[in-house]
Amino acid sequence: MAKKELMGLFTDAGYAAEAGDALERAGLTKNDYDFLTDTPYPEGALGERHISHKIYVFPFIGAMLGLTVAILITAGTQVSYPLITGGKPVLSVPAMAIISYEGTMLGAILFTVLGILFESRLPYFRKRLYDDRITEGYIGLVVEVDDSKVSDVERALTQAGAVEIKRAAA
Amino acid sequence: MHSTHSLPIGDDVHTKDYKVQLSVHGEELDSKTIIEDVSRGFFAFGAFYKLALLALAALFAVGIVVFVIRAADGLGDASRHQWDYLAAVFAFIVSAAGCAPLIAVALRMTRNHWRRPISRIAELYAVVGLLSLLMFIPLLRVLPPIDGRRTLWFTDEFPGAPVWWNFFGLLGLVIAGLALLFVSALPDWLQTSRRGQGFRAGFAGVFAGRWTGTEAQWKLHRAVLAIMGAFYFLLLIYMLSIINTDFVMSLVPGWKDAIMPAHQALTGIQSALALVLITAFLVRTFGGYKKYFPMEVFWSSSKILMALCLLWAYFWFAAFMTFWYGRMPVEQTILKTFMFESYFIPFLINIFCSWLIPFFGLLMWNPVRKSVWGPTLASCFILVGAFFMMVRLYVPAFNIEDVTAFSLETVPAAVTPNAGDIFIIIGALSGAVFLYMLAAKFIPIISIWEMKEGLLYQRVRTLFRSRFLMVGKPD
Amino acid sequence: MQEAKVLSYRQINKDLLGNIFKSSNRYWLIVGFLTIIVLGAFAAAGYMINRGLWVTGLNRPIFWGFMITNFVFWIGISHAGVMLSAILRLSKAEWRRPATRAAEVLTIFSLMTAVTMPIIHTGRPWRTLYWAFPFDFQRGIWPDVRSALVWDPSAINTYLTSSIMFVFVALIPDLAVLRDRSTGLRRMIYTVLSMGWRGSPRQWKLQAIAGILLSALILPVFVSVHSIVSFDFSMTISVKAWHSTIFAPYFVIGAVLSGVSGVVTVMIFIRWLFNWEDYIRREHIDALGRLLIVIALAWFYFFALEFMFGIYGQEGDELATRHMQMFEPPWSWLFLTFIITAFFIPLGLWLFRDVRRSFLWMTITTLLVNVGMWLERFLIIVPGLARKQGFTGTWHTYAPSAVEITIIVGTFAMVLLLFLLFAKVFPLIPLFDIKEGQVLKDEIKIGRRRVPAVIRED
Repeated sequence: MAKKELMGLFTDAGYAAEAGDALERAGLTKNDYDFLTDTPYPEGALGERHISHKIYVFPFIGAMLGLTVAILITAGTQVSYPLITGGKPVLSVPAMAIISYEGTMLGAILFTVLGILFESRLPYFRKRLYDDRITEGYIGLVVEVDDSKVSDVERALTQAGAVEIKRAAA
Repeated sequence: MHSTHSLPIGDDVHTKDYKVQLSVHGEELDSKTIIEDVSRGFFAFGAFYKLALLALAALFAVGIVVFVIRAADGLGDASRHQWDYLAAVFAFIVSAAGCAPLIAVALRMTRNHWRRPISRIAELYAVVGLLSLLMFIPLLRVLPPIDGRRTLWFTDEFPGAPVWWNFFGLLGLVIAGLALLFVSALPDWLQTSRRGQGFRAGFAGVFAGRWTGTEAQWKLHRAVLAIMGAFYFLLLIYMLSIINTDFVMSLVPGWKDAIMPAHQALTGIQSALALVLITAFLVRTFGGYKKYFPMEVFWSSSKILMALCLLWAYFWFAAFMTFWYGRMPVEQTILKTFMFESYFIPFLINIFCSWLIPFFGLLMWNPVRKSVWGPTLASCFILVGAFFMMVRLYVPAFNIEDVTAFSLETVPAAVTPNAGDIFIIIGALSGAVFLYMLAAKFIPIISIWEMKEGLLYQRVRTLFRSRFLMVGKPD
Repeated sequence: MQEAKVLSYRQINKDLLGNIFKSSNRYWLIVGFLTIIVLGAFAAAGYMINRGLWVTGLNRPIFWGFMITNFVFWIGISHAGVMLSAILRLSKAEWRRPATRAAEVLTIFSLMTAVTMPIIHTGRPWRTLYWAFPFDFQRGIWPDVRSALVWDPSAINTYLTSSIMFVFVALIPDLAVLRDRSTGLRRMIYTVLSMGWRGSPRQWKLQAIAGILLSALILPVFVSVHSIVSFDFSMTISVKAWHSTIFAPYFVIGAVLSGVSGVVTVMIFIRWLFNWEDYIRREHIDALGRLLIVIALAWFYFFALEFMFGIYGQEGDELATRHMQMFEPPWSWLFLTFIITAFFIPLGLWLFRDVRRSFLWMTITTLLVNVGMWLERFLIIVPGLARKQGFTGTWHTYAPSAVEITIIVGTFAMVLLLFLLFAKVFPLIPLFDIKEGQVLKDEIKIGRRRVPAVIRED
């Protein structure tokens, strides 16, 4: 059966949360709908689905990569041009440790940013249901539902207080 | 247009009886329960506790006996090398136990609520200051005169330096710590004196004095705690810096290390938090206070502990790098003495237990931080690390033959502890624990007034579809 | 917090995005004025590179003067961003909300400005490429990993990249607001930059994690950067006044002091410029003032240690340096000015609540701190070099030339100019942060009093 996307627009977070409840009473699950807000609500406040992620893997991978690259560069360059300076050995661990530390942190941070974007499913430039009024405080409730249930969903959203209902273009 | 909540704001609160949960996941507590639980724990004096006190007192006594026998051989500069391990254990106790009240002061300043159960546990370590002062006196006696060597006191004619500046500094610190404890305990003494009988109830009643809990008294109470806290903090940092300079650096010819005093102060703060967490764990597990110490106390403390472990490593690296880089002979000798040759084993234990294991092995991992056992285990390692840091600093310093030399020419051999040293170490540590456990039977180990104050400012509230803890900010 | 008004989202968007869509004449006047100064500084730098370093006041043995002082100063200011943003985010302090982005942006631009200083200081800046970067420019000659001057670029580059990433990630939700409020080419640009942000719970959750995780990762970097800059000085053994183990934490805490003071100054400035009285309130500068008391006391402890142990060593050249700093005019006057303006006056005033809650007095005290901290760096660098021993043919003195003074003044103008240009394109106060503050805000009734409260996620 073809899936359709709808969005109900609400002026109040309480109404949006009630709309979520109404959708579940109508037979939908939490995975069928999602909220769009202009401000982060405390997790679980709107009754949204549980969010799982693997973001913490990214800094570790980045750190390991950064450390490896930094050690290779510092060791490699010094061995390539072995000059004793200030009585310190050619491969001076404390000095290498400083640059390796910076490399580790840079790798961790860069990969963390990549991970954040990846887990946020960004960038995403294809056209999706949205309304500019969301950034003025409206709450969007996006629902993905079978063709046959569209009118039930629209009724539930309207009864819960939606000021407008949008449909995705065919 | 945007309304935030669908429920009415707050509830009216009666001052005597109000119920609230400590956290969303915590257990329910109210004012009456707190007073009854803490009073019951205060007056309880079980057989196990008595046995522990006796054993500790015995070990303490043995330590004193060994000390007296050794002191009979001489207590002056010539016998300085005999008191090396006494100096190390003294430094450990004055750093860890001395910084513990600072934990209470600092956390109170940040106005968070999770600190409330551990406040009094931290403040109570002020009584151990009495032992520190006692141990300090013979160490002051064995300090060599400052003429002919580098000193923080500018010249050897600086009046009262170093002995009297050190002594009165530590005396002031101990008095300030006890005063802080006394003022903090006033309201609780009143509460407990009314819920028991016998000597300790009478003691509490006498020390509660004229405290009745009027608004003026509470205002004064708050002001005094803030001022005494700031004073204690300043004196503590001063004392730890002075002790480190006079008893370590000044005894080692050619050692100029500006970060060392700060490093000892930081190690003190780190080991103090570790000590408080271990004590909290023991009080929670064996004192029947499980619902007073939710996981949040350990979790929030673990973040601070993590930061302190990193800071410890940072200070160590700053000192090491500066000395290592320049290849100056005296600096290389000092590195070899205190880190890489003579005292290599204590240094390894120090760096592993103060940084590598607690940080990389434990606190870096979220599930470990978010538990009761994790931060406690890390704290155990940290205490061991702090002890060995004092060993690797104070023992070689006290064994330097010629303190008036221009610089350290050769790397001195390590001095391992003999039986007498072991008894002194065990005796001193036992004495500290003995004093603390005894004091806990005269001052309630949980701060009743702070716990009750916390109830005023915390609510569990439903926001749309979930429950959250709401925390008041009285400003 | 007690003084906050509840504002509608529309009002918040209008207030905080106002300058982006239409700037006041005041704004353009200030930008124009700063541009002129910056162009003057570029001209002075160009003249110096064309003619050579003899146009400066540098000479044996004082080869580091105004420009290196300025380098250390701006690295110091750059520490404000992480201090406020990361530490206050991790400790969940509510009063951080209007300050975080301004602090982070100040970090980025002061870092960029700081980096230009050693580059033009080389006299032949194009050579910095093969001194600093591990690329085989010169047939097998590589940068010396053992040199503190090579650690510097690695640390500063890491910090700069991290700070830019940090700002960008936190900017995404606000870029979405800008996208929704714009039309035409502007809308297209913000659409690309916001990357399709919609504001789903998943995206918000990851934003929150990003804030915490990046804060936790950047904090160690921030400590390391200024420590490594301090290693430029403390690694040397020929300048005894610099060869001190305390330099790393001393520089870091000094950076935090001057950085946080800089943020306070900038926040009060933007409050005036953009009429943000509802967003930057007295309670914010009060809280920052209390934080500054703690930072100033910590700084003084490290300063005292550095000073006392300088004298502790009883080494001739170091004692001569201290003598020059404290007893030989004009250095003695500079020293007195430094200690009074960096510590005694500001700290004395910050102890009073009325001062901390006064925008005028906080501007004055925080400007004084930065005057003092600039002098502090100058007094570490120049007297140290002026009295160093070992291979020194002369104990010379130093006076800056007009070229150096122009460049230094230009850097202050450049940072402020870049900051204001940023404000023309992106919001300086995070909109979602302010809105979130309103969502989490509540009250508890205790007896007759209503105490402000905050909802905490467990």
